[in-house]
Amino acid sequence: MNAKKLIEENNLKRERLTPQNEAYYSDLLLYIRLQFSLSEQQSEEVLMELLDHLLDGQKVGQTAVEIFGDDPKRFADQLIEQLPKEEKRQLIPFFGGIIATIIGWFLIIRGFLFLLLSPFTEVKTMVYPLSSICIAFVIAGFVIFTIVLILKLIKRSFFKEKDNTTKSSILAGVVAAFGMAVVLLVAKFMPEIGPAYDFSWWASILGGGVILLIRYGSKKFKSM
Amino acid sequence: MNMSIRSQLLKGILDGCVLAVIEKEPVYGYELSQKLLSIGLAEVSEGTIYPILLRLQKNGLIRGEMRPSESGPNRKYYFLTKAGYEALETITTEWKQLSKPVNELLMGRREG
Repeated sequence: MNAKKLIEENNLKRERLTPQNEAYYSDLLLYIRLQFSLSEQQSEEVLMELLDHLLDGQKVGQTAVEIFGDDPKRFADQLIEQLPKEEKRQLIPFFGGIIATIIGWFLIIRGFLFLLLSPFTEVKTMVYPLSSICIAFVIAGFVIFTIVLILKLIKRSFFKEKDNTTKSSILAGVVAAFGMAVVLLVAKFMPEIGPAYDFSWWASILGGGVILLIRYGSKKFKSM
Repeated sequence: MNMSIRSQLLKGILDGCVLAVIEKEPVYGYELSQKLLSIGLAEVSEGTIYPILLRLQKNGLIRGEMRPSESGPNRKYYFLTKAGYEALETITTEWKQLSKPVNELLMGRREG
């Protein structure tokens, strides 16, 4: 059974848990799933075993605390320590796919914006690849930093009875706003360096469409 | 205090106990914990077996396989590998050599 099937089955089975057991198990589940460096297949398998065990125990009146102990974070860390790492071969297509999807949609939206705006205002279709790449790196850096920060805040919020979600939300918001300001400033003041090409609206839509089609096709191919 | 001494003593030999239960017949997690309990090995919590199972799998001493269980739904059953048999042999030999003098020493106290 592959990871996707295990996740679907897990979602169905989890509904049979009592509210207290569900709360305990869900923290465990999210905490382990957020460890992206671990093998997804192995993580889902052990999560399914824990869920089956909890459901069996529940039938004879046991609680999650009795079965897994009163320190869920320590228990989860012991599991994480023993879980094998995800192979890099599988991580690269995963992140590559996400980046390709973002670029695809970006090109399509850019194309349509230029098409819609061109009757009213003069649009600059000239593109400076070197400058664009620099801006892309700044954006990627900002996105990665913000995601890592938010994941850290989420992980820290687990297994705590009193969580300060407000404080965490404000911190995440401030960092995201500040990062966005940096991105906009860099985009505005980035000098136009290197060679320039004309990248018209239809070329943009076509390019984006091709990227998304390839993504869609490879996804279909993989699930066959 | 009693519990912590027991769990410390168990820590070193629990791997061997898990391997020995799996050797008798393939089991899934819940069955394994029930068998350990019924033998009298009440560990701190039942969940403790899962990090152990993961470690034994990682070291190639056992392998897991999804199979339909007696009650119906699929469960991950654990089997001993060849390396697992060998490890269990070694643990058994070591335990024999260790338990005899320890027994003599600790049990001999009462008579003295």
